[in-house]
Amino acid sequence: MDMIQLYNVSKRYSRDSIAVKDLSVKIDKGEFVYVTGASGAGKTTFLRMLYVAERPTRGQILVDGQNVTRIRSHQIPYLRRKIGVVFQDFKLLQSRTVYENVAFALEAQGKKRFEVSKKVYQALKEVGLEHRLQRKPLELSGGEQQRIAIARALVVDPLILLADEPSGNLDQEVTMDIMNLFKRANARGTTVLLATHDYSLHQRFPRRVLTLDQGKLVGDQRPLEMETAEQ
Amino acid sequence: MLEAMRYFFLRALRNMRQWPFLCSAAILTMAVSLATIATFFLIVVNIEQLAARWTGEIQVIAYLNTPPAQQDLVRLTQDLEQIEGVENVAYVSPAAAMDRFRERLGEDASLLQGIRPDLLPASFEIGLRPEFRQQEGIEIIVAQLEEVIPVDDLRYGQTWLERFNTFINMLRFVGAFLGGFLLFATLFIVANTIRLTLYARRDELEIMALVGATMRFIKIPFMLEGAIQGFVGGMLSLLFLGVSFTLIISRGLNAFWLTPVDFDLLFLTATQQLLLVLAGVVLGVLGSLSSLRRFVRI
Repeated sequence: MDMIQLYNVSKRYSRDSIAVKDLSVKIDKGEFVYVTGASGAGKTTFLRMLYVAERPTRGQILVDGQNVTRIRSHQIPYLRRKIGVVFQDFKLLQSRTVYENVAFALEAQGKKRFEVSKKVYQALKEVGLEHRLQRKPLELSGGEQQRIAIARALVVDPLILLADEPSGNLDQEVTMDIMNLFKRANARGTTVLLATHDYSLHQRFPRRVLTLDQGKLVGDQRPLEMETAEQ
Repeated sequence: MLEAMRYFFLRALRNMRQWPFLCSAAILTMAVSLATIATFFLIVVNIEQLAARWTGEIQVIAYLNTPPAQQDLVRLTQDLEQIEGVENVAYVSPAAAMDRFRERLGEDASLLQGIRPDLLPASFEIGLRPEFRQQEGIEIIVAQLEEVIPVDDLRYGQTWLERFNTFINMLRFVGAFLGGFLLFATLFIVANTIRLTLYARRDELEIMALVGATMRFIKIPFMLEGAIQGFVGGMLSLLFLGVSFTLIISRGLNAFWLTPVDFDLLFLTATQQLLLVLAGVVLGVLGSLSSLRRFVRI
């Protein structure tokens, strides 16, 4: 079953700046997909259109069977509850504790207090930070901060996890930890889209790779093809 | 529902604790703005009240050709009292008028020696009910007056009354103009202060929208916060006004404002005080709402 479908999607910011051009792609439920390409290739715009931070100029986008191209503003929050997003700069609230940062996502959905504390603890345990509940993000390392951001994205059990250069600011060892977290989420059934320009990642964890260049889809390689290519 | 309201309220309080400087800035801006408007309102109200007292001295004096016969006097007085708008009527005979004149001359009263006591005309001094103490009211009364008694001349401070009317109209116009201007400036300043506080928290707003918070969820705590700040700001302005007012009264400073000794400066009534605090709450909520629209884009 298709989780994400794009049909001839284009996004223009101005007359002479086109971020995504005529993009058509389908991503199955439970897939793990890399979105690669140089800076400015359109990776971020592609992800932003999926959680409706941007609307396409042309084309149609379906997420979990719902056409999000013409989604009404008041429906957007409900769509976003199906999607967890992780950023390169973590986007954590520095004035809140680790616990509060993760709980925020559940509170925003109006979950009950006892449910919130239980789930937050589980999510932080999953990323190995259950002993840092009362710390503030700035007291932690970059890798730990990114793990909090991942816990916040996963605590709501999203159907889709979008990660935009999640390891951009992290060293190799930490990157591996984080990749393992994504793989575990994927193994539990979450569809994962990971935008990165780090080619070493998909060499180490071979998965389907969508390659963008100047907004156009120039490559769609599946692991089998990649293996064949290697042979 | 109760759980949600509790959560919103706690979040509003926590936000204020987390940003004490921004929070105090918003509260103080509202307090100063509301106090300024209320002070201005009090000035206008007190001037109007003072002016209304001056009109208390307005009366119509009808001078008669010939003094009425003693037996007609009671009937004439009664007739005059029947006219709508007349509060009281006093007859001043030529002799009484001469006595007054003499009294006023004081040491120079000797000048009147040898002058006939009936030289001055007899007159009726007609006091008016408050609502008739203005140009149109007086004109209505004067018209009826002339039907009751043969009047030689009428005096009711025509020129003064015209000037007074112009003054009151001017006062009201300037009051409304400056008041409107102040109100607009207040709205502008408060909305911008709140916008500044929200700007500092745009990350929080962005993340809330990102994790699927509805507009209602995002807005309610900020609106509550605006309401609390507005309430505190309103109370502060009231406190400031009350203290300054008490100081003015207790130090006898009202003599300084050239007001009559028995004139009591007016303060805000209980309803007006309530309205002031309520205005603070409304200002806070509207300020938050208008700024939120700019920062929260889902």
